[in-house]
Amino acid sequence: MSDVPAKLTVVTGKGSPGRSRLTSLLIHLGLLAASVVMLYPLLWLLAASFRPENEIFTSASILPSVWSIDSYIRGWNGLRTSFGVFFTNSFIISGLSVIGNVMACSMAAYAFARLDFRFKNFWFAMMLLTLMLPYQVTLIPQYVLFRQLGWVNTFLPLVVPKFLAADGFFIFLMVQFFRGLPKELDEAAQMDGCSPWRIYWKIIIPLSMPVLATAAIFTFIWTWDDFFGPLIYLSEMKSYTVMLGLRTFTDSTGESDYGGLFAMSVLSLVPIFLFFLFFQRLLIEGIATTGMKR
Amino acid sequence: MTIRIDRRHFLMGSSALIAAGAAGISPAFAQAERLRLLFWGGQARADRTYAVTDLYQAAKGTDVEGEFLAWNDYWPKLATQTAGGNAPDIIQMDYRYIVEYAQRNAIAPLDEFVGGALKLDDFDADQLEGGKVDGSLYGISLGANSVALMVNTTAFEEAGVAAPTRDLTYDEIMAMGEAFNSANVRGGMKVIMDGSGSEPMLDNWLRQKGLALYTADGKLGFDADAMTEWFQLWSQMREAGVCVSAEDQALDTGPHETTMLVLGKAAMMPSNSNQLVGFQAVMQDDITISSYPRLAAGVGGGHYRKPSMFFSVAGSSANKEAAAEFLSFFVNDPEAAAVLGVERGIPCSAAVRDAIAPTLSEQDQIALNFVANLGDLLGPLPPSPPAAAGEIDISLLRTLSQEVGFGARSPEDAGPYFVKEATAILNRA
Amino acid sequence: MTARSLQSGAPARERAATPSIWSRIWQNDAPGYLFLLPWLIGFIGLTVGPMVTSLYLSFTDFDLLTSPDWVGADNYIRMFTNDAKFWTSMRVTMFFVIFSVPLKLAFALAVAMLLNRGIRGLPLYRALFYLPSLLGASVAIAILWRQIFAGDGLVNKLLLLVGIEGPSWISNPQYSLWTLIVLSIWQFGSPMIIFLAGLRQIPTDMYEAASLDGASKWRQFIKITLPLLTPVVFFNAIIQTIEAFKSFTPAFIISGGTGNPINSTLFYTLYLYQEAFAFFRMGYASALAWVLLAVVGVFTAFSFFTSKYWVHYDE
Repeated sequence: MSDVPAKLTVVTGKGSPGRSRLTSLLIHLGLLAASVVMLYPLLWLLAASFRPENEIFTSASILPSVWSIDSYIRGWNGLRTSFGVFFTNSFIISGLSVIGNVMACSMAAYAFARLDFRFKNFWFAMMLLTLMLPYQVTLIPQYVLFRQLGWVNTFLPLVVPKFLAADGFFIFLMVQFFRGLPKELDEAAQMDGCSPWRIYWKIIIPLSMPVLATAAIFTFIWTWDDFFGPLIYLSEMKSYTVMLGLRTFTDSTGESDYGGLFAMSVLSLVPIFLFFLFFQRLLIEGIATTGMKR
Repeated sequence: MTIRIDRRHFLMGSSALIAAGAAGISPAFAQAERLRLLFWGGQARADRTYAVTDLYQAAKGTDVEGEFLAWNDYWPKLATQTAGGNAPDIIQMDYRYIVEYAQRNAIAPLDEFVGGALKLDDFDADQLEGGKVDGSLYGISLGANSVALMVNTTAFEEAGVAAPTRDLTYDEIMAMGEAFNSANVRGGMKVIMDGSGSEPMLDNWLRQKGLALYTADGKLGFDADAMTEWFQLWSQMREAGVCVSAEDQALDTGPHETTMLVLGKAAMMPSNSNQLVGFQAVMQDDITISSYPRLAAGVGGGHYRKPSMFFSVAGSSANKEAAAEFLSFFVNDPEAAAVLGVERGIPCSAAVRDAIAPTLSEQDQIALNFVANLGDLLGPLPPSPPAAAGEIDISLLRTLSQEVGFGARSPEDAGPYFVKEATAILNRA
Repeated sequence: MTARSLQSGAPARERAATPSIWSRIWQNDAPGYLFLLPWLIGFIGLTVGPMVTSLYLSFTDFDLLTSPDWVGADNYIRMFTNDAKFWTSMRVTMFFVIFSVPLKLAFALAVAMLLNRGIRGLPLYRALFYLPSLLGASVAIAILWRQIFAGDGLVNKLLLLVGIEGPSWISNPQYSLWTLIVLSIWQFGSPMIIFLAGLRQIPTDMYEAASLDGASKWRQFIKITLPLLTPVVFFNAIIQTIEAFKSFTPAFIISGGTGNPINSTLFYTLYLYQEAFAFFRMGYASALAWVLLAVVGVFTAFSFFTSKYWVHYDE
């Protein structure tokens, strides 16, 4: 909370100190009220994870009649493979994806935003086009492709595309931010004989922490939350991700373990929430705090 | 066989750019004693299934690698793997899809193994028949079950109404519904959910009239008048407040936690005999099962012993015989049977049934007795439904029943409309 | 300073080659392609093949289990002449796009502005507001949404306090789509974070200069914040629209994959998914996908065309 430097107070209010304190109080009240709406599902989930199984859907009260951690124990060990393995797998896949995405997408974005080359607009349009086709229809051809490569049942189909900047979302995002950086900087550097690589590495990257942090956060969370890719490509329990593990708790044709589902859902939120908290610090560093003059 | 190669050849060609570079890596099918098994279900089913694969490994030395998924995830994955030429050796198959997969050679006929690797000597004839498509055996039934009403007996006690028996009729439901309403159980619980969009319930009702959902040659087995009558029946119940409102019924999207029974909006709902355990686990009230209502006293023949699910062998499997051997073990071995219980339905081998009966829990006993003693309610096994049956159920019957429920269409209009649209879907498929 | 950034609206494509130390064409092109190389490898190696295949499949009858049969334009003809569900799903999706995207963006921008004031506890609020987006579209969300929007749900309990008896929002075909729009808006975390990152890149000295000149906050917003934020607004608008057109999971989870009640939540991609994986018509589903691509493509191209009039890059 305290990591907001005071100098970040960007807009100097013109009103009296009393009025601004009132305004600030009102804002906090409003934000807190909104937070309750935002938090309600999490509280419900948390309560459900401590409820006895037959109370989850039939009890009207928000608080469980008995608090029990049975669901956590059952959920963690219920499957043949412990949830710890799923967490490890998810960490590996999401972690590698973050590295791959941030590197590959920032390079492509730098090319699109700052360099000139032939057919640039064509490639950019192609990149956008890949965003528009629903994945459901490329699933099977892609599966065949990865199977030819012998990658099915490994993490490779989930990770390698990230190192090849396959998600145009991030390229487009970074392009928009890179184009907002003052152009004088690279022009000056170019005059000094800097190579494009040095400009990218020494100027663009350091100045783009907010967008790189954004990309890192989104990549981690979305990869963590993704289940369709892992569903199709991973076939052994020991290589399952957390999301895939969660989906084995419920089945509409037989017995389900809702307690286990909710307990493990709560646990699955912990890493992505921590990741978010950690990386959001980087969001506030950038031009605004480096105090760079233009 | 040629067809399959053609398809793979084609799909390979489409990704020739990469495939060319990776020609050497073509993944070899496991020729060793290793089988892949894919099934849908929850953890309870998985635990039992894995215990059996362990037994098999110990007994025969063959490694059966099982993977399980929830129903909704199962079908896209199976379709993708099959289309990618990478189907598992043993596939859990549903009554609804077996024709689709069999007619396209995605699963293999097993007749050549019967008597050899696959022992089915005391297997129930109707269950064997249920696994046949065009006269060949494509699926081994893993258990029989029957449609059944889930009945919330606690709610019936609160209403002061006697719980339904196997002689329950549709007319009696009307009377029960009025008793429920005047007793005002839990602020308006209805006696039954709106069953107009339930395909098994429609099927059961038609069979009692001597009709069928589908004929043996895959046509609609009833006409517009019957369909209109069906919608009228439920409209009456809806208007009298006997069944739940359309708005409430639309909350039911399939999973247990969305059903009228679990939400406490209705005291009875159509389901299957093998789901008693699953429903009881998420409810505080006591529930039991009973038969679907009769058209009138003494009219029966609506129920049948349906194969709850099958094991099939992939058409592309290189280990068909080994797979058939595993199936044989799965449905015959006494130790395996003890582990499996009736989780997938009532075992189809008489010897197995007798062996496990004493070991079952109270709820499992109820289910077993129900299916074993259907009596005059039991009719013949219907022919397997045409491939388009699923589409007619999902995208026509359920939607149309909601249109009638919400008053967007009258029963008199919905009957002919259903027949017209269903026929179009059947002709297209 | 403000004035300079306002008039610099020319997009890259019209920019003449900057004076550079490289003279030869090879030297002009090589750096760009080197930086683009990972993407190019992925695009050509992993993406183009499956895309072209799906385009081919859209002209076939392909049931997933046997080889595809060429049927020419039949799938496309059927779609436009003989498929009521195609139009239903298109209408549902359009409605969703038109209402969810602007509302979500406005909400995200407003909250981002509020959070950018350097108030105490900013990281905490930001995390709280991002929480719903962390949840994604899990089974838990489906259960929760029913608890909130069912006939005896939270919303109606609140309405009852003021004497209104509400319908079962989530299962009434008149309102069910709105509950999905609310869900989409509620998960406004991603565009909010992107807006925040954009706001962070606006140099503070510009505001200082402006307030010294006595500009009101509203004027500062109009004259400084908004113009400098346009690249990010543009990005969010395009991306959210594409995502909304392709929106699948919320409807899938909440309607149990059916698109009911009465097809009121039958999103385009949900219909496509049903055709592909439930009814074994991958050929038809592929045709549906390419029609969607055409629709979204036209929209995006139009946005890019207009962007030169309102998106301000610093160049």
